[in-house]
Amino acid sequence: MARGKNRFRCGAVLTAFAASVLLVGCQKGNQTRPKLMVVIVPSRDNPFFKTEADAAAERARQLGYAVRVDAHSDDSYNQDNLIDMALASNAAAIILDNAGADSSVAAVRRAEQAGIPCFLIDRAINATGIAHAQILADNDQGARLVAQEFVHEMDGKGRYAELLGKESDTNAQVRTRGFHAVLDRSPELVRVAAQSANWSQAEAFQKTETILEANPGLKGIIAGNDTMALGAAAAVKNAGLKIRIAGFDGSPDALAAIRNGDMQATVLQPAVEIARLAVDEADRFLKTGSTGRPEMQTVACDLVTRDNTDDFEGFQRKK
Amino acid sequence: MNGPSQPTIAAAGAVAGHPLRPGFRGFTRVLLRMRALFALVVLLVVFSASTPSFFTSNNLTILTKHVAITAILAVGMTFVIIAGGIDLSVGSVAGLAGMVAGALIAKGILFGHMLQPYFPRVWVVVVLALGTGALVGWVNGILTARFLVAPFIATLGTLYVARGVALLISNGRTFPGLAGDAARHNTGFPALGQGRWLGISFPVWIMLALALAAYLVATRTAFGRHVYAVGGNQRAALLSGIRVGRVTLLTYIFSGLCAAMTGLIIAAQLESAHPATGEAFELNAIAAVVLGGTSLMGGRGSIFGSVAGAFVIGVLADGLVMLGVSEFWQIVIKGIVIVLAVIIDQSQSRLQARFLRVG
Repeated sequence: MARGKNRFRCGAVLTAFAASVLLVGCQKGNQTRPKLMVVIVPSRDNPFFKTEADAAAERARQLGYAVRVDAHSDDSYNQDNLIDMALASNAAAIILDNAGADSSVAAVRRAEQAGIPCFLIDRAINATGIAHAQILADNDQGARLVAQEFVHEMDGKGRYAELLGKESDTNAQVRTRGFHAVLDRSPELVRVAAQSANWSQAEAFQKTETILEANPGLKGIIAGNDTMALGAAAAVKNAGLKIRIAGFDGSPDALAAIRNGDMQATVLQPAVEIARLAVDEADRFLKTGSTGRPEMQTVACDLVTRDNTDDFEGFQRKK
Repeated sequence: MNGPSQPTIAAAGAVAGHPLRPGFRGFTRVLLRMRALFALVVLLVVFSASTPSFFTSNNLTILTKHVAITAILAVGMTFVIIAGGIDLSVGSVAGLAGMVAGALIAKGILFGHMLQPYFPRVWVVVVLALGTGALVGWVNGILTARFLVAPFIATLGTLYVARGVALLISNGRTFPGLAGDAARHNTGFPALGQGRWLGISFPVWIMLALALAAYLVATRTAFGRHVYAVGGNQRAALLSGIRVGRVTLLTYIFSGLCAAMTGLIIAAQLESAHPATGEAFELNAIAAVVLGGTSLMGGRGSIFGSVAGAFVIGVLADGLVMLGVSEFWQIVIKGIVIVLAVIIDQSQSRLQARFLRVG
């Protein structure tokens, strides 16, 4: 009796197992699979990267590709694994917003050596001649643009603080250099604090609270991205102060903050345009063997202030 | 472990009309003990059936390489957990070891009044980085065995210290170019992560060698028995003359070594060292160990189980990515699998207790 029951259980488990395998097996009964384009971005809980990923995926589907979107969470080891898996999945091309200018070089090289072309978007790597394209927003131009507006808002004088992005990210360095190319021309503008908040809103909130505490009479804060600018804006609001804040990215939240006066300016990175461009070039490369463009490409950013917030939406200019 | 509660459970089982059928128990026990292996087979079949490129030699090579990272950490962690401890610092130690290697290869060492830095050979770099891991492990061991700090707290402390030191080494930057320079005689480091022998990548060989060695130590040596004894009942172990402090210390040093090894492998794969490498790796390692049937209460567990557990986690992670499952769902699924494993762990120990009472 006991044995019979045992056998029955064994049998039931095995049957269920076989059935599930069959079920899963039946789902794929399709003809020739479309080529796969793998889109790898830092995360999808950040509106910028989500928009970028969605735009790339949508365009690739329009062009007849199967699409997979992965996120590396700004972890280069994670990214390395995802690129491995793109290779294992026989991807036709990789669209990549990378996890670190230095730490991504080996992974991109490996993909290219395996015959899978990589098209980098948003962030560059510290090497040329490896990827097929590196398409970025013109971070330098954008930074200068928003810095000019910041100087204007500050009336060319006063004490300000700067929130910087992640050190390992080239964009953080390019943006702060761009800011200072403009800000340092006004001798009466004094930077009293500079802290990295690692692109993070929570970190920017805490850092700003400390900076406000240490620097009474602060007049402005300029941040390397909108997420940090919004963190700073929240801290400023909490402290009941009125401080001019500028960011970078043009995220929907930042546009809303500019509309209600919590922030003064940002520049919009054309994330949608960049993502589409990368997919188009990947497609052209796969069909003709050439992208027809140089490797390094930049797309200009747009300044957003209270006067023109309604012209933009979802990281692009409204049609 | 939770001794007082067990008689009631056994009694409840008897009252509920479950006489202890040997067949049922045998089958369930095998299923429970080998759960990681069963889960692995199920996952492999499901992913192979649903993704054509999953069960290819190319992908399996890549997969085992990914698994090796978690498995190596889990092997070290297994000893610590069997001995009744826990090591939360492994992820940070991996990051720190990578940064030590990165600094030595990219920047060299500057002694006193030297004008030019000295660039050590790669094997020296590897030894020094592993030594760093062993050192952190030693600190963990001393804190828990000598100063009687709870392992959770002691290793939480070293988690922060090691990560902070890793960031300090480079001021938060990445060390690029770990391929080395022929003029400095320090090339060849990337082979540790990228090299292959007989078609199998080095990290996998390292995992196999470490797992085999750990298995032999755990099952065939006095030290191995002592580890189980210390975790099973520390006072009894002490009274029977086992040097509990020394055993604990050695388990943490071994865990530190394993963690440093993974850090080196990752730095070699990326050809660059990043101070944030290894964040949350400790959780993967603990999950693998628990999935593999090792009790978090100590005294029970196996190396083989932990390696199988690492495979479950690795196959699940890679398979879900290849299936195109959203990363948010991936996190949810991973969490469910870990909790399920612990629930099974609980019922297994209950079952065992019942078995012991009858037997």
